[in-house]
Amino acid sequence: MSGADGNKSSQTELSSQVFLDLVDSVIADVASECHRVARLGLDRDLEVVEEELRLSVEARAKVADPSNNLETNTKFVVDIFGQTHPPVASEVFNCMNCGRQIVAGRFAPHLEKCMGKGRKARAKATRSTTAAQNRYARHSPNPRYSPYPNSVSENQLASGSPGVAGEDCTVRENVKGG
Amino acid sequence: MKHSVNRPPTPDEDDAAEGFEKDELTLREIINVKLVESGEKENLMELVRDRLVECGWKDEMRIACREHVKKKGRKDVTVDELIRVITPKGRASVPDSVKAELLNRIQNFIVSAAL
Repeated sequence: MSGADGNKSSQTELSSQVFLDLVDSVIADVASECHRVARLGLDRDLEVVEEELRLSVEARAKVADPSNNLETNTKFVVDIFGQTHPPVASEVFNCMNCGRQIVAGRFAPHLEKCMGKGRKARAKATRSTTAAQNRYARHSPNPRYSPYPNSVSENQLASGSPGVAGEDCTVRENVKGG
Repeated sequence: MKHSVNRPPTPDEDDAAEGFEKDELTLREIINVKLVESGEKENLMELVRDRLVECGWKDEMRIACREHVKKKGRKDVTVDELIRVITPKGRASVPDSVKAELLNRIQNFIVSAAL
């Protein structure tokens, strides 16, 4: 290259020009983007922000206000059809296990008791189940293989020390049967 | 030479630059064409964009735009107006490191293009 100073400076000038061109393109891009956002109202403009701020302040005040409306709202949720559902189901039906009449809202706790609740009863039930299984396996004449009524009766019998008593009963039955 | 290759000069351009005779312009055009044809222009554009985003320059520009839009009301603004508003600030606020990197690459290109 003819490394004359003039050449170099014009080169520098040239590259500056090219550089400025590039920057101008980017500026145009940014301006176009901002223009679009502004015209479409996509960006949170000052007015919009103020409006939303006002609304959110209102909403907060409403929520923070411990008025009676809050109770009714939480108890009776209105669905899209306008129906309200009380939080506790009130329909009454028959338990398929024990046949009693149960309020739907109280069915789960009832079932716990009915079928054997908690750790103790469940442990008992398994023991009585395995015992019943043994019984059933050794000598079939036990048509009604239903461990649960057994556990219920056992529950009723041995309220003081359920585990021991229950085991005793089943063991004894086993011995009797065998 | 295809004039479509050149963007129209932005309003803030120095008169001195224009006084640099048509030779300069022709040379510029030539460079531009070479840049585009070799794909180097795309590379440079991408590089510039990345650098300017990284250093927060783009965000500053967008803030400036938003300020102007707030003043003028968003229905009234035009693209040209926005460009006019942010160009001087934009050109001035490019970080030196970015400018140096770009100039370097451009100069290398010019040299390698054997001009």
